[in-house]
Order: sequence, then C-alpha cells, then structure tokens
Amino acid sequence: MPAESPVLLHVDRLTVEFPGVRALDGVHFDVRAGEVHALVGENGAGKSTLLKVLGGLHRPAAGEIRLGERRYRPRRPADALHAGIAVIYQEFNLYPDLTVAENVFSGREPYHRLTRGIDYAELNRRTAQLFGTLGVHLDPARTVGSLTVSEQQLVEIAKALSVDGRIIVMDEPTAALSADEVTRLLDVVRRLRAEGRGVVYVSHRLDEVFAVADRVTVLRDGRHVHTGDLAETSQEDLVRLMVGRDVSAATRRTGAVRDDVVLDLDQVSAGRQLREVSLRVRAGEIVGIGGVAGAGQPELSQVVFGALGVDTGAMTLDGRTYRPSTPADAMAAGVGFLHEDRKSSGILPDLSVRDNLTVSVLHRVRAALTRLLSPAAQTAVFAEHRQRLAIRATGPGQLIGQLSGGNQQKVLFGRALAPGGRLLVLNEPTRGVDIGAKMEIHQLIDEVTAAGTAVLMISSDLPELLGVSDRVYVLAAGRIVGHLTGDDRTEENVIACATTGRRVFSEVAA
Amino acid sequence: MTTTDTRTAAPEPVLADRAERPSLGRLWDTWGITAILLLLLALTPLVAPGFLQLENLQSVLRESAYLGIVAAGMTFAIAAGAFDLSVGGQLALVSVVTLLAYGAGGTPAAVGAAIATGLACGLVNAGLITKLRVPPFVATLGTLFVFRGVAYILTQDGPQTLPYDQIGSPFVKIGGLNVAGVPLPFVIMLVVYAAAWVLLRRTATGRRVLAYGSSPAAARFCGISAGRIQLFVFALVGLSVGIAALTYITRVWTADGSAQDGFELKVIAAVVLGGTSLKGGKATLIGTFSAVLLVSVLNDVLVGQGVPSAYQRIVLGCVLIVALTVDGLRTRFAVPGSLRRAVAGLAGRSTDPDSA
Repeated sequence: MPAESPVLLHVDRLTVEFPGVRALDGVHFDVRAGEVHALVGENGAGKSTLLKVLGGLHRPAAGEIRLGERRYRPRRPADALHAGIAVIYQEFNLYPDLTVAENVFSGREPYHRLTRGIDYAELNRRTAQLFGTLGVHLDPARTVGSLTVSEQQLVEIAKALSVDGRIIVMDEPTAALSADEVTRLLDVVRRLRAEGRGVVYVSHRLDEVFAVADRVTVLRDGRHVHTGDLAETSQEDLVRLMVGRDVSAATRRTGAVRDDVVLDLDQVSAGRQLREVSLRVRAGEIVGIGGVAGAGQPELSQVVFGALGVDTGAMTLDGRTYRPSTPADAMAAGVGFLHEDRKSSGILPDLSVRDNLTVSVLHRVRAALTRLLSPAAQTAVFAEHRQRLAIRATGPGQLIGQLSGGNQQKVLFGRALAPGGRLLVLNEPTRGVDIGAKMEIHQLIDEVTAAGTAVLMISSDLPELLGVSDRVYVLAAGRIVGHLTGDDRTEENVIACATTGRRVFSEVAA
Repeated sequence: MTTTDTRTAAPEPVLADRAERPSLGRLWDTWGITAILLLLLALTPLVAPGFLQLENLQSVLRESAYLGIVAAGMTFAIAAGAFDLSVGGQLALVSVVTLLAYGAGGTPAAVGAAIATGLACGLVNAGLITKLRVPPFVATLGTLFVFRGVAYILTQDGPQTLPYDQIGSPFVKIGGLNVAGVPLPFVIMLVVYAAAWVLLRRTATGRRVLAYGSSPAAARFCGISAGRIQLFVFALVGLSVGIAALTYITRVWTADGSAQDGFELKVIAAVVLGGTSLKGGKATLIGTFSAVLLVSVLNDVLVGQGVPSAYQRIVLGCVLIVALTVDGLRTRFAVPGSLRRAVAGLAGRSTDPDSA
C-alpha cells in the first residue's frame, strides 16, 4: 500500500542551528499519502525542532523541503497552513472562551448573505460535518474551555481538516490522555490515513507507535539514524536504535548505603498526576526517578517538598509521620530541594550570589543580640559554599544572573543543602550545564551521600540516572512501573518501562 | 586529608574580593537620582534666588514629608512586585478619622487613631489580596474608591477642620515645630527612612520581600509564603499612611473625601523615579528619598517662578518619562554588544525583502 502512493512531503539534508548547538544535522524524512509515519527518539534528539521547521517556527540553516514537486520554505505558521501542513503542538493554540465551531473556523467564518453577520447555523453545521468524518460527536456550540484535553485535541484536528490539511503532524498527542481517550485518538488517526492524508506521529510511547504507524524514523542527537517499515522492526530494535550507544557503566561510589530508611512513601496519590506511589530512600542512598516527560516526576518531588498536597497515602521521614504543608515545613525537617527549571523557579535573578545562597537559612545569619542580618555571617556562608562547591563568582555581591549555568546550578545546590542535608530532592540536577560542571555536581552528590544524606534524584538524562543512582524507579502516567536495581539498571529497561507498558521489578534482597 | 581535589587546589581569597568594584550601572541604580537632585540643588539658586532662604527650605522639607513617608512604604510594595493604588483614599480617610478622634480625645487619641486606621486600611487590602485572591491592582483600585467614599460619608456635614484655637496644642506642633531649624515632619521622615532601610537590608523579612519580588515562583521553593509577604507589605503601606497623615493633617488642618486627589500616582511616580523596579526584586530607599525631594524642589521652583499648576504637572510627567526611558534603554543595552546587534538587526530587516 503506502509504498506505491505518492510522496507528499520530502525533507532532504535538513540542518538547523541554534547559537552553539546544531539541533538537526542533515536529517532526511518523507511522508506518503495514506500513511502514518512515526518519529521517535530520546529527549533532545531533534523531533521538536523538525516539527517546528515544518510548522514555520524555525528556519533551517541548510537543506530542502519539498511538498510534492514544489519547494516549501515556510517563514511563519500561516505559510504552513496555506501549504496544507497542520502541526498540532503539545500546547494547543485554542481560544478557550470561544466555541468549538468558532475555534475550528477562526478567521474563516461563513457569513450570512442578508445580515452580513457570522452565519452560526452554517458554522455549526460545517463543524459537525467535520467531526462526522472523524467519527466522533462533539457539540460545536460548547466553549472550548469547558472541554477535556482530549476533546480539545479533537478540535485541533478538526481545525487541521477545515483547511484541508494534507499533512497532519501530531506532537506527543497522547501525553495527557487516558487509555480510552488514546484508543479513540488512534481510531481518528486511522481515519485520517484512510482518507489519504499523511500523518506524522511523534510519540515516546512505542506501543502506540506499533499500534498505529506504518513506518518509523529514529532521530538521535539531531541525526537521522533509521527509517523503516514497522512490520519489519521489533520493539527491542527500536529501543536500541533510540539509545544507540553502549550502556555506560555506573560511576564509582565512595559512601555506602546505610540501613536506616530516611524517606518512605506509602501509596501516595496527588491529583491526577501521581497515583499510589510507594518508594523508600535510605541514608546515604541515591534513588533515581526516570520516565518520559509528564509522567509525574515534578509532582512527586513537590509532594515530598510540601509544595503539592497529598490526597491519599502516607509519608514518613526518619520513621516519623511526615506531612509538610509548605516548603518551609519540609525545610524545617531538613529537606532540601532543587527545581528542574533553574531560570524560572530556581534563581532569584535580582539578588546577589550571597543572597541567593542564604535566602532559605536567614535565621542562621542573624546577629544574636539584635536579630538583624549580619553581613559578616552572610559572607561567611558565601565563602564556605564557594570553597566547597567551587563556585566561580567574582564576589558575594555579584548578581547570580551573571554566572554561567553550571555555577548558578552549584549555588542552587548549595541552597538545597542549607536546610541540613537530611534529604535532598534533586530535579534534573545537571540540566543545561556543561560537561565540567556536570561532573562536579555528580561529585558533590556523591560527597553528600557519603556523609549520610539521602538523595531522591529525578533525571531525564539516562546515563546520569543510571550512572549516579543506586536504584531507579520508573514512572509512567503517575504510577511506578519499574524498580531497577543491580544489573537490571539498563537504558533498555528504563525506556521499555516508560514507553511500552512493560513492567520490570527487580528482586530486592530485603 | 588528601590534596588531590582539584576544586580546592587554588583557594581564592575570600574577603579581598577583586572585581567587586560595583559597575557604573549599579552605582547609577542607587545613586543616579541623588546625583540629579544635587545637580538641581546646585543650579536652582541661579534661577530662583529666593530658594535658599531658610523659610523656603523649611517649607520644601515640611511639604515633602507626607509624600516621602508613604513612598517609603510603597517602595516595599513595589519591591514585592505589587503596588497599592489606594493610598490616596487611605490618606483622606485616616486624616478625617484622626481629626474626629482629636475632637473626641485630644492628641493621644488622634495619634492612636491615625496609626490604627492606617493599619486597618492596609489589612483590608491584604485580606482582599491574600484571602479572596484579588490581584493587588484590582483590590487596591477598589479600596481607593471605598476609602474615599467612607471619608466622604464621615464629612457629609462639611470637611473636618482643626479649630483655630487649637494652635497651641501639641498635636498641631507635629506639623509646625522645628527641631534645631529642621521641620519636625522632615525629622519624622528621616527616622522612617532609617527604619525602612534597616527593615529592607538588615532583616529576614526585608530580604524575603526582595526575593519574592524577584521571582515569586523561585521564592516559593525557598520556603517563602506569598501570603505573608503580601500581608506584610500592604500592612506596612497602611502604617506609613498612618504616620504620614499625622504630618499632613497638622499642616493643612482640614480634610474631607477629596483630600489629596491623585496622591497614589505621585507616590508611585516618586518610587519609580528613584530607581525601584516595577517588576519587583530591586528597591532603593535612597533613590526613593532623593526622588521625593527632587519632586518637591522642582515643585517649589515652579511655584516660586509663578508657573501655572497645569504646567507643573506637565513638567513632573516629562521628568518621569525621561527617567524611565533612560532606565529602559540602559537595561535593554546592558549586555555588551546588544546595541550593535540591535542596529545591525534594523539594517538587516530593511534589506531583507520579505516577499513570501
């Protein structure tokens, strides 16, 4: 079937550069009429960049895209729509206060001949017709803000059909959907294929890829690795192609894991993001949390730090009931926290390096008599941390925004240690830092655990997750779907648990 | 101890921090407006010879006190990334209540009423913002009208006024007394600024206000409670209005609901002119102090030269716009090379025929 059908879109030797980074390096890719072509790869492989080029958001540095016979050089999102390419990003482009029909035909509403106003009857009729071709029922007069995520996604798809999109690109369409909703979406995708459209399907979830796609292209580190029929590819092959390198051996550890359990979560659920999570972290132990983006990692870390409320389940810290209702409670109990988004939720950009370090321990830098902040005590804290964490700053008064990413991260690491270092909750501890700083931070994590601190580390960087952690839990859709120790700690196992619905639980000697 | 650790191989001297010389930009942030004030003070006698007379100087200082005291409180609100639009209404209401209390219980009652009413106004704002989750802009815009409305109701039978026979009362002396030639309202203002400086720079609470204003999201993960910060800054603004009203009412002797119309914008203008960032996180009390004096001196000169009040407003507005434009340009082109790139970008755009 698709082999003989015409090629709708052809991407040839596409290269995209950002300052200092080559996000895509000579990638080729094509989509035929009536096929679903899956695009897979690890975080940072270049999938999103390719999508944004197709959608007119990024311009390539080199290479060529052809639509049928014509060259396609989009300069803005509108160009993509005119060319018949509809990209549905993870963040929807919808007006929440308008109706479904108004969103679908936004800017192209049918007008009434007599009144010159929008012909709502016709608008709603055409919208209902589009949903009919998708095989779903959705009231065109409802406001989009009242819809579920999966219904909003159907509105995006209807929008794509309303401009007769020949090529429909979906970025992680099932990331926020329930199992039933996924089934319905896959049916819709099959209908689009049956109509002769080309669908580009980007997903971390390999079981879906195998359920719906005809061919697959694997990207890794911005390069094209493989394109082939899924019928001739096994799930294991695909995982290996995505990972691509030898699994790195665990880095050395100086300290030993102790027997006392520091943190214990028992069937903890929070909102829709975290479901019946049970885990333990011992003194001197580094426990890693892996999974694809959106599986509940930030929620897990925030529950432990008191920034997100627990609905059901119980936590203990050092054997005592632990129910922090604010981050201040967690810090008072000796828990430190590193946010995954350094720029928006980590640094205090208008404050100095010194003030960024001391902000969570101000009670410790006050003069005994006056209770006023003591500049000398604050500078001493700065000096101690600069020495211990090797922070490269010109002095205590330098603004933190002027430091490199790695040095900012070390300052924030110091801030996380400040509450006392009983437990450290680290979110993506080395995201966006250079290799040197990354090794330094790993060494610091090793040092604090050697001193008895328990570490809960969330990382989407697989070599880090496996190399630094003693044990790894894998999250998928808010649940723990894997517990990997010893030789089971492999990239293949993490990816398999996170993306295929397979579960791996290592036997643990109690 | 092993010495193979490369990270500690070259320990840098900690207290002798080289390169800790503050940059010109950061000096300007704190002292820029003060420099302009000094320049103005040096030039003014050339234009307005009467300016340097003792009585005129005393009048300028006395006049600047109530604006300055509220501006000190407002500096905290703006440092926290919020602002309080209701201070004009607060000043009118506190003034009216203070005069009523003076009539009923004399000086102690008046002072107590001023402080209590100011604090109460601030707590109303804080309650709306923290408990009902109304954004500060909307909450204080609403209470601006409410406070003024209450002040009008209390003065339905005509403005509240200090009877002339009270001229000898200690209460009236708050506005009129000179301490070694310095007007008491200005002395109070100096004390307020000293206390505010200690609060902002030397207490944990002040530091948390700056941290919260710099990044509310990051502050949350530092254990800083947004509600407590907002409660603190709005209560503080109310308290500052309470103190300011004492110096205000003992100078003008009368108040009703219309007192000091547009006061809130003057206060915010002074704080911003001083160099405190409307985005929060950066605050300078020295700057606010100098900006208040700058506005008062400018006003005095214009009045002394017989410039009509309509033009005075235009001058004040222009000063504010120029100050913020300079500041905006400085921030925008603070990154080395950004000016060159911006120019190149403009040139590039004009030569790129966008014919899609």
